[in-house]
Formats: sequence, C-alpha cells, structure tokens
Amino acid sequence: MVPTIILAVCVMLALASVFAVLLGWANVRWHVDVPEKLQQLTDAMPGVNCGGCGFIGCNEYAEAVFHDGAPPDKCPVGGSAVAERIAEIMGIEHTAGAPLRPVVLCGADFDARLKRAEYRGEPTCAAAVMVAGIQGCTYGCLGLGDCVVVCKFDAIHIVNGLAVVDYEKCVGCGACVRACPRNIIQMVPFHADAMTVVACSNLDPGKVVRGVCTVGCIGCGICAKLDDIFTIADNNASIDYDRYQADTDLSAAIEKCPRKIIRVARASRP
Amino acid sequence: MTVADTIKIPGRRSFARGIHPDDKKTLCSGSPAEILPTPQSVLIPLSQHIGAPCKAAVKPRTDVAVGDVVGDSEAFVSAPVHASVAGTTAAATVVTLPNGQHVGAIPITTAEEQPLTGRALWDDIYGGDWSIDAIDSFEPKRIAEAVRAAGLVGMGGATFPTHVKLARNPDKPIDTLLINGCECEPYLTSDHRLMLEAPKAIIAGAILAARAAGAERIIIAIEDNKPDAIEKMQSAAGGTGVDVVGVHTLYPMGGEKQLIVAVMAREVPTGGLPLDVGVVVVNVATAAAVARAVMREKPLTHRIISVTGEGIATPKNILAPVGASYADLIEFCGGLTDQASRVISGGPMMGFTLGDLETPVTKGTSGVVVLTEAQTRKADETACVRCGRCVEVCPLGLVPTRIALAARNNDWEMARRYYITACCECGCCAYVCPAEIPLVQLIRAGKAGMPRD
Ligand code: SF4
Ligand code: SF4
Ligand code: SF4
Ligand code: SF4
Repeated sequence: MVPTIILAVCVMLALASVFAVLLGWANVRWHVDVPEKLQQLTDAMPGVNCGGCGFIGCNEYAEAVFHDGAPPDKCPVGGSAVAERIAEIMGIEHTAGAPLRPVVLCGADFDARLKRAEYRGEPTCAAAVMVAGIQGCTYGCLGLGDCVVVCKFDAIHIVNGLAVVDYEKCVGCGACVRACPRNIIQMVPFHADAMTVVACSNLDPGKVVRGVCTVGCIGCGICAKLDDIFTIADNNASIDYDRYQADTDLSAAIEKCPRKIIRVARASRP
Repeated sequence: MTVADTIKIPGRRSFARGIHPDDKKTLCSGSPAEILPTPQSVLIPLSQHIGAPCKAAVKPRTDVAVGDVVGDSEAFVSAPVHASVAGTTAAATVVTLPNGQHVGAIPITTAEEQPLTGRALWDDIYGGDWSIDAIDSFEPKRIAEAVRAAGLVGMGGATFPTHVKLARNPDKPIDTLLINGCECEPYLTSDHRLMLEAPKAIIAGAILAARAAGAERIIIAIEDNKPDAIEKMQSAAGGTGVDVVGVHTLYPMGGEKQLIVAVMAREVPTGGLPLDVGVVVVNVATAAAVARAVMREKPLTHRIISVTGEGIATPKNILAPVGASYADLIEFCGGLTDQASRVISGGPMMGFTLGDLETPVTKGTSGVVVLTEAQTRKADETACVRCGRCVEVCPLGLVPTRIALAARNNDWEMARRYYITACCECGCCAYVCPAEIPLVQLIRAGKAGMPRD
C-alpha cells in the first residue's frame, strides 16, 4: 500500500499538470491584443491607483490617454517624469508646469484658536463643522483630520490641532482638498521650493477675527501696500499665484504682517 | 381633564413609539416670568429664521426706538428684525448663532431712558385687554401682512417665518389650526408660563391665525403634565369655539408630525408638510405674538426664555429682549453653580451646546439649560449591540442604527434606502442607545454631506 503522503503528492502533481495545460491553451485561445503603446502607457504609470488624475485608477488613465487623447500631465504621483514618458510614448509635446501642492489656509494651532469648547461628538471634521460651539472661528481648521484619513501617502498630519502637509511625501493628488468640510485646503502651483501663503481663511472684520484667533488675518492691507501680488478681499489677504515666480521674494511682507500669518510652505520638488 | 375628554377629537392623543425622559419641569415651572433689566447693549442677528437673511436697514451711529426695523429682506421666505431696545446702533458685525449659522448682526448700545421697563413692559406685551369682540374686522390678508411686518417666526425653535405658514394656498386648503402647547422638551417651561400668564393673548392670536390660514377649527394641544395650563386655557377659551385638549406626555409630542397624529389621526406623508393633510401647526408663543402683531401692531422684540437646569443658581423664566446675551440671562439668575459644565441653547434633546456666552438670544430661543458634569459625562462608544432599542423609540418608524452607520461609512445608497432625509433629529434613538453611538449627529452630518442629486 502506497503511503498516503505520496498518493497526495501524486494527485496534486497530476492536477497541476492538467491545469497548466488548460491555462496554457486558454491563454492562446482567448488572447487579446493589447496595443503596444497602451501596454507601454500602463507600464509607465506609478500603479498606486490614487485617483489624483481624475480617473478611477492608473489603467483607466492610460486608456483615456490612448483612446481619448487625455493630456499627459494628469498624474500627480509621477509628476513631470511620468508626463514626459507619456508624451514620448504618444509622440506629443509636453511642457512641464509647476507641480500643484496643497496648502492649508489656516495657521492657527489649538492655542491660537480662541473660544474653544470641549467637543465630545463624532470625531470627524464633517460632523464637527455643524457644531457652533467647537471654536470661535467658523472658517479655521477643526483639527479632527478628515484630510489625514483620505491621504494615501501619509502626507498630511494634525500637529497641535492644525493640519500640516508633509511636502516630502505629498504627491499632490488633491484628496485632502476634497475631504475638508471647511474648504480651507487649496492647490497651489509650486513655482518655487518655498511658497509664501497667507494662512487664513477668515472673511470677518478684523475686530471679530481678533476675538476668535490670535494669528488670523485682519485684512489690514500692510502686505498689499508692500507688494501688489497681495490683494485684500472680504477682509482677507490672498496671493495671486499666476504672477508668482521662482524668485518672488515676499520676505518684507512676511516680516511686517502684524499677525505673522504670512507663512512659508517649503516643498521638495519631484 | 374632565372638559378635555368631552371634546371630540379624532386622534388617540398619543403616537407610536417615542420616549419618556425625566421632564425636570418643576425646577422652574412654578416661577412666574420675571422681566430682565434692560442690558447695556444688545446684538440683533440679521437672520433669526429659516430663509433668506436680512440686509441691514440702519446705518451705524443711528438712534433707534424699540420696534424700529433694523434689517429686512425682499424674499418671501424671510422675516424682518427689529430693535428690541431704544439706543444707538454701531457698525455691523458678525456672530455665530448656537445652531451654527454665521450671520451679520447689528449692535445697539442701550440708551439711558427706555420707554418701558419692568411690569409696564410686560403689560405692553402680554397684559391688558385681549378682547376678541371685534376680531372679525381683521381681513385675512391684512393679518398675514401684519405678521410678516412684525417679523414673526416659529418660536418653538424651528424659526420658520409664520406668514409663509399662514399664506393661503388654493391647492391645499387648511381645515384645522393646531396650537402647539406641548413643550415636550425636558426642563423648558416658557410656553407653560405663557399659557398661565397670558392665556387670552394666545386665544386671540389663534383665532387671528386661523382667519389668515382659512382654518375652521382651532385646537390647542397641551401635554397632560401641565394640568394647570390645560385648565387655564380651557377657561380662557370658554365661549370662543376654540378647543383645548390634553395629549399624553411623550417625547417628541411637540413635533408637528407626532402632534397631528395624536390630535387629528392624520399621517403627514414622508417628505410632506402638515399642509398636505390640511393642518397648520403654530406654537403658543407664536400665537400670542400674532395677536400682538395684529391687534397692537407691535413687532416681535421680546420673548419668554426659561433659564434652568441643575447648573443654574436660581432657575427662572425671563421676559428678555431679543439680542440680549446668554451671559445677561445667566447673570440675572445668579450665575452658574460650581457643577455647571455645559450650557445648552434650547432643550437638552434638540438644543445646541454654546461655545460663547456672549452670543445673543434670538426669536427662536425658548430656553437655556445648564447641565452638570455628571449629566454630560463623555460617552464611551462601543459597537452597536443590535438591541433594536433605537428602532423601538423612533417616532417615524425608521431604523436609526442602519442610517447612522451607513452615513458614518459614506454609504449613501444605503442611507437613502432607509430614508435618511425623513429623520426629524428628535434624538430619541441617541437617548436610548446603550452603545452610546451618536446616532443623531451621524445622521445630521450625513444629511449635510450626502451628495445632492
Ligand atoms: S482666523 Fe484664520 S488662522 Fe485663525 S483659526 Fe480662523 S482661519 Fe485659522
Ligand atoms: S497631502 Fe493631500 S494632496 Fe498630498 S498626497 Fe495627501 S491627500 Fe494627496
Ligand atoms: S484641514 Fe480641513 S479636513 Fe483637515 S483637519 Fe483641518 S478642517 Fe479637518
Ligand atoms: S440602540 Fe444603539 S446599540 Fe441598540 S440597535 Fe440602536 S444603534 Fe445599535
């Protein structure tokens, strides 16, 4: 009598060879011709399926480029390297633009935000945004991290109650922008490694802002007097990023801002 | 309830499910309304209602008298706001109301001389003669106009503009006006006091509102934990044709849909309005304000607010001007006790926690409840234990656990399939949930975050 173990091995081997033959035959029988270019495009994608391109995943984007002529520079993860590779495969022109990166337009951590009441509800920004009593400023970061949850690259964190982007890791997929119920994360073209931002979204009069935050923009207009790249609208200063150059220097405004709310976001470029 | 029981009402005076929280009304149901001394300044929010916010109608540094319009809007679903004290306006600012609305507001610094204070103010608002002998001389259209001009909104807390409710719709005729004196939220007693102290004004207002809406029948419904109010209203209603009925004490009896089932045995369809079943529901305080707006041509500038709870030194019912701060009211009640932990605008079931006591009270503020640390301990949430208690108490027959957990997981298809938008946010489910799941908050956030189609 053959020992059971040997019998088992033989059966498995026999099964394996039957299936190998079957699969090999099926592969030939139902072979689908993937166009060479589409295969190359698929290979060129980073394969993280983050959705930052606006398609369901990397393969869908590759197909969109191949079939519908989608632009080559949609992949934030791959950046200009992937864009160039796609352009090369498709034989089209590609001029690299500045990479888009998120900036959080609130610069107040827990200690700087006033009139805070202890919050005991569902710990998400989407739920807390409906509670008036959580903090005085109705524009600023809630610090409960809905953005952190959606980031697939571990590139945004809550530091002392404020969302802070880690530009070493961020690929600019924009998931955090869509997740924030306060709408305070904005994608900005990083023309330089260090981008200046007015880190406040509060549109209330200066006096009200002072009541709810120790650092918020009061719309005093000092920055706009120093450099016309700043505009004041609704009591809040903002920067015209279309006119921002790699060598734009706003250090005078940074220094003179009475609220020290003009901050520098330092990115590492891919 | 001897008299009430002789009145023929179709409903069974109750509705299915609901809860019986400890009502804590005795903390201040026995305290007659006191008049708040005029505060140093008031802040009049430009939106105290559901609908379009008002635009400022006064310039800064203008002298205003009590009742002057300080904000108005062209929109139909809106209500003007009025100065509640005599004084001088300052530059417009913004304020965050407890319900999260972030709105413009006009500060008014109070003048030394006020036309009416103390008892004289009470008499001007709720006292005096509310005879209904000449009530037929008021044309329905004129009533609705006077109600709009007076800036009336639902004073039970919903703050829906009253003139919109009373406007006649030829496609949906009204046969019954229900006056809501349930005050089903625990702690609150402002409507209770009003029914005891100004029953005639409520009756007059109810008759006027019914004329405007074209309702033939008027029923005043009061929860049977207020037998003195039922008695008082019944004697005031004697000979006017207005019916007063006691309904069971069951939360949320004051919800429009529940009240209509309990009194009229009519079911408002999901997504529908009381209008669809021929009923309009108006709160008792709003009814009294209708009488004042039409018969005395005075706007809504003051209201009764219960300041109560275990965290308040001396709970009181206070007649306060709109725009006074919560801090003013609390100070008038001797301040907070050492145990005070949370200040809630409105009742404990559906009210909002306040972050800033300098916030002004509005037309819809029915109460301020201060709870203690022991009452508001932080919940330790566990997974749903599938006990089904939330389903047992939901007055709308929903499955709260399904909806809330679907909303938490952004499963909008499931949330919709279980009628997330039908939820009235009464809080019964969260009140009974042994797993301490914040069911209502999840549902509210879900309604706001759900993709629109
Ligand atoms: S005022 Fe500006 S910086 Fe301060 S919390 Fe609000 S948004 Fe943030
Ligand atoms: S921080 Fe925002 S943009 Fe950057 S990778 Fe994370 S989710 Fe995407
Ligand atoms: S940035 Fe927005 S999503 Fe992120 S923690 Fe702040 S409020 Fe929440
Ligand atoms: S009451 Fe709470 S634990 Fe019970 S079924 Fe509902 S959600 Fe689950």
